[in-house]
Amino acid sequence: MDTMFTLNQCHHQSFNSTITTSGSSSRSSTEHHTTHHHHQPPQQCFFMEEDNLSSSSSIHPYYSPNQFPSHDNNNFHHHLISTSPPPQLKSHAFSQDVVREFSDSLSPNCWSRELLSEAARALADNNSSRLQQLMWMLNELSSPYGEIDSKLSFYFLQALFARMTESGNSTYRTLSSASAKTCTFESTRNLLLKFQEVSPWTTFGHVASNSAIMDAFNGETKLHIVDFSNTYCTQWPNLLEAIATRTDDTPHLRLTVVTTTGSNGTETVMQEIGNRMEKFARLMGVPFKFHVVHHSGDLSYFNLNQLDTKTDECIAINFNGTLRSVSYDRRDYLLSMFRNINPKVLTIVEEEADMDVGTDGVKFLKGFEECLRWFRVYFEALDDSFPKTSNERLMLEREAGRAVMDVVGRRPECSVERRETAERWWRRMRGSGFDGVVISEEGCDDVRALLRRYKEGWSVLQPEMGAGIFLMRRDTPVVWASAWKPV
Amino acid sequence: MMFSASVYSSSNKTSTSLSDQDAATSTVSPVITSKIHHDQFTPSITLSSISSHVQEHDHLYPSPQKIKKKRNLPGNPDPDAEVIALSPKTLMATNRFVCEICNKGFQRDQNLQLHRRGHNLPWKLKQRNNKDEVKKRAYVCPEPTCVHHHPSRALGDLTGIKKHFCRKHGEKKWKCDKCSKIYAVQSDWKAHSKTCGTREYRCDCGTLFSRKDSFITHRAFCDALAEETARLSAAAAASISIPNTHHPSIINNVTNTPFNIQLSSQNSTTSLFHFNHNHPNPTWIPTQDPNPARIKPETINHPHRPTHHLLPAISLPYYQDPDPTRIISRAPATFHGLHVSTGVHQPPAHHLSATALLQKAATVGHVVDHVGSTMSGLDMGELGHVTSSVGYHQHVGLTSGSIATWHKTDRLTRDFLGLTGDQEVDHHGGVEANVNVRSMLTYTGGIEIPADGGFGTSGSDAWGNC
Repeated sequence: MDTMFTLNQCHHQSFNSTITTSGSSSRSSTEHHTTHHHHQPPQQCFFMEEDNLSSSSSIHPYYSPNQFPSHDNNNFHHHLISTSPPPQLKSHAFSQDVVREFSDSLSPNCWSRELLSEAARALADNNSSRLQQLMWMLNELSSPYGEIDSKLSFYFLQALFARMTESGNSTYRTLSSASAKTCTFESTRNLLLKFQEVSPWTTFGHVASNSAIMDAFNGETKLHIVDFSNTYCTQWPNLLEAIATRTDDTPHLRLTVVTTTGSNGTETVMQEIGNRMEKFARLMGVPFKFHVVHHSGDLSYFNLNQLDTKTDECIAINFNGTLRSVSYDRRDYLLSMFRNINPKVLTIVEEEADMDVGTDGVKFLKGFEECLRWFRVYFEALDDSFPKTSNERLMLEREAGRAVMDVVGRRPECSVERRETAERWWRRMRGSGFDGVVISEEGCDDVRALLRRYKEGWSVLQPEMGAGIFLMRRDTPVVWASAWKPV
Repeated sequence: MMFSASVYSSSNKTSTSLSDQDAATSTVSPVITSKIHHDQFTPSITLSSISSHVQEHDHLYPSPQKIKKKRNLPGNPDPDAEVIALSPKTLMATNRFVCEICNKGFQRDQNLQLHRRGHNLPWKLKQRNNKDEVKKRAYVCPEPTCVHHHPSRALGDLTGIKKHFCRKHGEKKWKCDKCSKIYAVQSDWKAHSKTCGTREYRCDCGTLFSRKDSFITHRAFCDALAEETARLSAAAAASISIPNTHHPSIINNVTNTPFNIQLSSQNSTTSLFHFNHNHPNPTWIPTQDPNPARIKPETINHPHRPTHHLLPAISLPYYQDPDPTRIISRAPATFHGLHVSTGVHQPPAHHLSATALLQKAATVGHVVDHVGSTMSGLDMGELGHVTSSVGYHQHVGLTSGSIATWHKTDRLTRDFLGLTGDQEVDHHGGVEANVNVRSMLTYTGGIEIPADGGFGTSGSDAWGNC
């Protein structure tokens, strides 16, 4: 079988295995597939407590059914996977039921959703045998290099397994540090710029926010932007250009970037980014100062004094994809914290999904379904935008896979990828003392002009109620951009 | 309405105009023809010649000979031309030529004449008195703060002054739907729409872009930009500071030094934007620096950046900014103190013509070379003033020194551009005098854009040539 279940091997033999895509074999799982694929580093070993080994089933020495976590106990089990050899790739007796159940009914286009939902249900119901069977089946069909269903299956299965074994935190940390090891300024830049070239996913938010910021900064001479975003300052060159060309008196701009990803290798990347930004600002003729603040942990514990705000400057706060990293019960507090700085404008860009998977059965299922839906939208959008063999898309998918691991596999208090709907954010903002600022006609025109430069399938929606605008991908809202001012 | 009317020589044009308060300096006698439709036109000024006007304020303006030389440049009209000042209303009026018979208005005189034929006028009235040759005319801008408001900077073409007025002082009513740029003049908008989206932007690294926004983002992070070295930032430090318009007398002293352009050694600093696309030289604009008197030592001594930025892959411990002064603002007091708050402001880049920007670059380049002596010798205010008078003509006003400076820089600028063939400057074809920063960021080429948006997936390879 694959590394998912034999990670105790912890060596490289499975790393170089051949890969066959399971995309074409969505129907039958009785064929022998070798789906070796490897992206996780060898650290992903799981340790089982000794006394449980004896109770493991004879067919499946890999984990004991007794080890399924009950979600309301906080014991953190480490599972040791025994050193038995990889399983045979034939259908075991137990799995016949599941195979029979699904082999005729799986639709070719979203089988992953069906299977994964079933697996989630089995997990929520504590139906261990059924869960095992489903996971086995999913594993057969999973591959990060296959069709969308295979990919989703791969990442979700991994997350479900981590949830099941309560190893979400460590797995997530492992995945993150693995990615951080290969992360450089160049790789980050190339990835982001390529993504922005082929898809308006991030540029939509940039254009909308910049428009709101320029409107708010109109006539001011000293500007300070506090940036909490996950796009590594790719938003700002266009704003610098706008400042340079659209103002009569070029104002001074201070940019304070706050990073929240901790030890992800972002320090060195941000330093280089800062250098580039300063140079570019010089080129544009904008007096500019750049400052990075590294913050670890929940953003709601951020110390505002680190911003070093001045009384004579006009402040804009920009949240792009980072509000979701705050734990649910701290979000309102964070927003009111920023209300106290009294910014001229506060911009929010977030992805439109409700990823509250809660801790227990019913909530978990509902949240899980939503995650399935959301990540499918994202993967499909990536698939549409990038060419078939794009390395960048693979990187982005892996990043999404880490997000899946975070939402599904980790405990809610540690989770940093829990997206929330625009409506919920709107309520929070209103409750924290903010009022929505309408994005101007020019801003909307800019956004529409932006979308015209991409492949078709994207549009803008201005909701009747609430605030902000949505990026729509074929009638599905995917990204929400809004601007706020203190009341 | 008061009219101390004036006539254009003695030709009986239907567009006789009347003068108003602006005609205070006019000395013509009041003559009103029967063809005046004074509800159509507001008064205008007519002067017999520029020279006479100049004589009235001769301490402000140079002699006519100098003006004559510069006749062909925009805003330097034929000194013998009649200067006409139309009001904004007149200027914007679309139907200035009115048929005396039926009061129908036309945009052009030719159209009106064509129309008049239809009235079957008796032969005599049909003819226009063309005995006197049409005198050359120049028009001034009605906006008092505009440099073209003064007769010495009048524009020779009616359409020209109309467009100028719209562009600079008018409301921008026309918008490009592709990129949402707005224009006051319809023909500008049309012209832009034709090229919008078809234009290509070239980065110093050689990559072409069809989209301006992705070009800008690319440029900001491009390694080619990073190659900019310390002397450029040092140059920036020596550039524009607070323009000081209170010492016009100092101008003449100051003009000497900055205009000794050292082209050979300053090649890279004097190239602006994409004039030199063949050169790998970075392009830049001198910018306001809060500490103009101090060349940033950290940037001068900045170690040469390797092209391949292979940063250590290990995660660093909690990042401590090693050199706070470099990234964080310098002493806030300095920063604040030097910030212009008196209303005298930095010349905005987009108001500057190409020639002015080049001139500024040259100025800056020179100062860098002579950092020690020049800097100590010059008051930054003076330097600032010079550059501002060079570039930002709108605010200089017509003080005695400025015109001299302007003309002087014109001459030097033309030399600089290679128009007189004296200098060997690799420039991009003919440079339009009113090219602005935005257009200077673009370059029209015909090369295919690479599919990967300019960045090869193989990382450092793409930057090997930068």
